[in-house]
Amino acid sequence: MDAMTISRADLLGLAEDLLGSGIRVVGPAKASRGMVEYRAVAAASELALEGPELPARSLKEFYLPPTEPLFAWKSLAGGKVELMEARMAPPPTVVIGARPCDAAGVEVLDKVMGWDYRDEPYFARREATTIVSIACAGIDSSCFCTSVGLGPDATRGSDLLLVPIEGGYRAEVLTEKGARLVSGHQGRFRPDSGAAQAQEFKQKARAKVAAHAPPDARPLRSWLETHFDHPLWAEVALRCHGCGACAAVCPTCHCFDIVDEPEGVTTGVRRRNWDTCQTARFTVHASGHNPRSDQNSRIRQRVMHKFMIYPKRFNEILCTGCGRCVRACPGGMDLLEVISRVSALAGGAG
Amino acid sequence: MTELRELARKLLSDGQVKVVIGYEEGPRGVRPLFATDGAAADRLIFDERCVQNLATYLDRRRVHVARLGKPAIVAKPCDVKAVAGLLRETQLKREDVVIIGVRCGGVLADPKSLQRLGPDTMADRCRTCETREPGLVDYLVGPMPEAVRGQSGRDAKIAELDAMTPEERWSFWQKELSRCTRCQACRQVCPLCYCDRCMADKTEPQWIESSPHPRGILAWHLIRAIHLAGRCVDCGECERACPVSIPLGLITRKVAQVVAQRFQHHPTDDPSVPSPIGTWRSDDPQEFIL
Repeated sequence: MDAMTISRADLLGLAEDLLGSGIRVVGPAKASRGMVEYRAVAAASELALEGPELPARSLKEFYLPPTEPLFAWKSLAGGKVELMEARMAPPPTVVIGARPCDAAGVEVLDKVMGWDYRDEPYFARREATTIVSIACAGIDSSCFCTSVGLGPDATRGSDLLLVPIEGGYRAEVLTEKGARLVSGHQGRFRPDSGAAQAQEFKQKARAKVAAHAPPDARPLRSWLETHFDHPLWAEVALRCHGCGACAAVCPTCHCFDIVDEPEGVTTGVRRRNWDTCQTARFTVHASGHNPRSDQNSRIRQRVMHKFMIYPKRFNEILCTGCGRCVRACPGGMDLLEVISRVSALAGGAG
Repeated sequence: MTELRELARKLLSDGQVKVVIGYEEGPRGVRPLFATDGAAADRLIFDERCVQNLATYLDRRRVHVARLGKPAIVAKPCDVKAVAGLLRETQLKREDVVIIGVRCGGVLADPKSLQRLGPDTMADRCRTCETREPGLVDYLVGPMPEAVRGQSGRDAKIAELDAMTPEERWSFWQKELSRCTRCQACRQVCPLCYCDRCMADKTEPQWIESSPHPRGILAWHLIRAIHLAGRCVDCGECERACPVSIPLGLITRKVAQVVAQRFQHHPTDDPSVPSPIGTWRSDDPQEFIL
C-alpha cells in the first residue's frame, strides 16, 4: 500500500484545485443551526473536516437520493404513451472528509444494488465518485463501528484514507481511483513520514470506541434465525414511534418506493423515493391486511434485515455502527442495547 | 422521585393500571419507560431532562402499547394539554387513562448537555410557558418549581421573519425545508397526529405528492401546519424528532399566534373548551380562511 502525507493547507488546496477544474467537491460542511451535513461546497473553506459532529445524514443520498425521477411519460393520441428516460450524467465528484462508517456504508450497499439487477443510476454515481475518508477519532457513546467488523480507521469503500497526524494527514492509497487522485495532484502530497503517528491515532480511536461498544454483532445471525417469536421484540419496541428517522439517517437502509406523479393532464413522472420498513404503510396489502401489524414486528424486521437477512444473502452486516439511529431516535431506541441483549441471549456469543 | 415511584407501585399493585408510562435513565440519556411491575416502577424519574411528550403513546393505533392494558401516564403541563386534545377529539375516554401530573418548571433545550436549568439552557417553548401545575390530573406529584423565565429566541425569529419581504421569507423556508426527506418523524411523534390514514399517505386519490422534492415537501409542511392550527400544544416533539433539525417550532408557534389573535384560543388542559378547527361561530373572523 502506498502512503504519502498531506498538510491541512494542502488538503484544502487540493479541494480548491478540484473545484477549479470543474469537479464537484462534497464534504462535511456547517449548515444552519450548528448542524453539519455532507454537501457540495463552492469553496474549500466551507469544509468542516474532522467534526467534532457526525454529519446529520450519511453519504447515501449522493448515490441514492431521497427522490429521483426515473422517467417521464406523455399520453399521445390513440392511446399511445411516450416514455422519456431520465438522463443520467452524474458529475465527476470527489468526496473529501467522509467518515469511514459512511464510506463503508456505500460499499455494503453495492451488494444489493448490483444483485439481481444492476441499478444504473446508483452505479453511475458510484463510478463518477472518488471517496477520500478521514479516520475518525470516535464521536460519542453511540458509536459502535468496532462491533460490526469495522472501526474508526476502516478502509472499506474509501479510495484514500487520511489519518490525522501533526499538521495534516497520512494518506493511505487504497484503490486505483485513489492513486489517480494522488498522481493528478502530486504537488499537494509529500513523501510518507507519519506511519508511527498514524498508527497511534488509529489505536487510540479504536480503543475509544471499543471501550463502550457492544460485543461483535456478526455471530448474532444464528440466534436471530431461530428467534423470530422471542418476547424480546415486544419489549424493545415499546418506545418506538415508527417514525423512520432511523432509516432516513442510516448509511445502509436503502428501501425505496416507486410513485407516479402526474404533472399536468397528459404528463407525469415516475420517481423513486426513500421508504422505510418502520411505517405501517410499508407492508400494508391492497386488501387492508398488514403482515407486520404492529411496531414490534417492524422493529424486529429492522434488526433481522441488518443482522441476519442481509448477512445471509451477502455475507455482510447491513450496519456500519455509525450510531445515527441512536442519536436521531426521538423515542430513545438503542441499537447498541439490542445488540448487547441479543448477544447475552445467544449465550454471550461474540 | 420517591413520591412518583410509590404512586406508580401502588397503581400497579392495586390493579388500577397495567402499565405506567414514564421516564427512566437510559443508556444514553433519559427515555420513555413502560413500567409493568414494581421493580420497573422503581426506575421512574422526573427532572428537567424529561423532554418527551408521552401522550403520543396513548394513541390507540399503537397496538403494541395498547396491548399492555390500561395505562397511567406521567405528564407535564404541556403533555396534559395533549391528553386533553385527545379527549376533546374523542380519541380517548377519560376513564381509560390515569394521569400522573408532574409540576414542571421547564425542560432543557438539550437534555444531553448536563446543564442546569436556567433562562438560557431552557427549551425555547418553556420560556414563554405559564403553566407550572397541570389540571385534569388524577394525581399531582413533585415540588412547585421556581418560575424561571427567559427570552424566547423563537418569538424573536418569528418577528424577524414577519418583518421580511415574502421573497426573503420564501428563501429562508426553502433553505430550511430543503433538508426534509419526508421521513414523517414530525408526524409520528406528534400526540395530535393520530389519523388512521394520513392524507399524506393516501394514493387513490393522491392528495399530495409523497416525493421529497420542493413541491412535495412544501405541501406536507403546509398541510401539517393547517391541520394542527389551534390543536398544537407546543410540546416541541416535532422539532426534537426532526433528524435534520428543521425549525418546525417556528411554524407551529406562528400558527398558534395567528389562532390566538383571530380566535382568542390558547391550548388548554380543559377538554370541554372547543378547538377553533372543530367549531364554527357566526362571529368567526372572515377575512382570512384558516
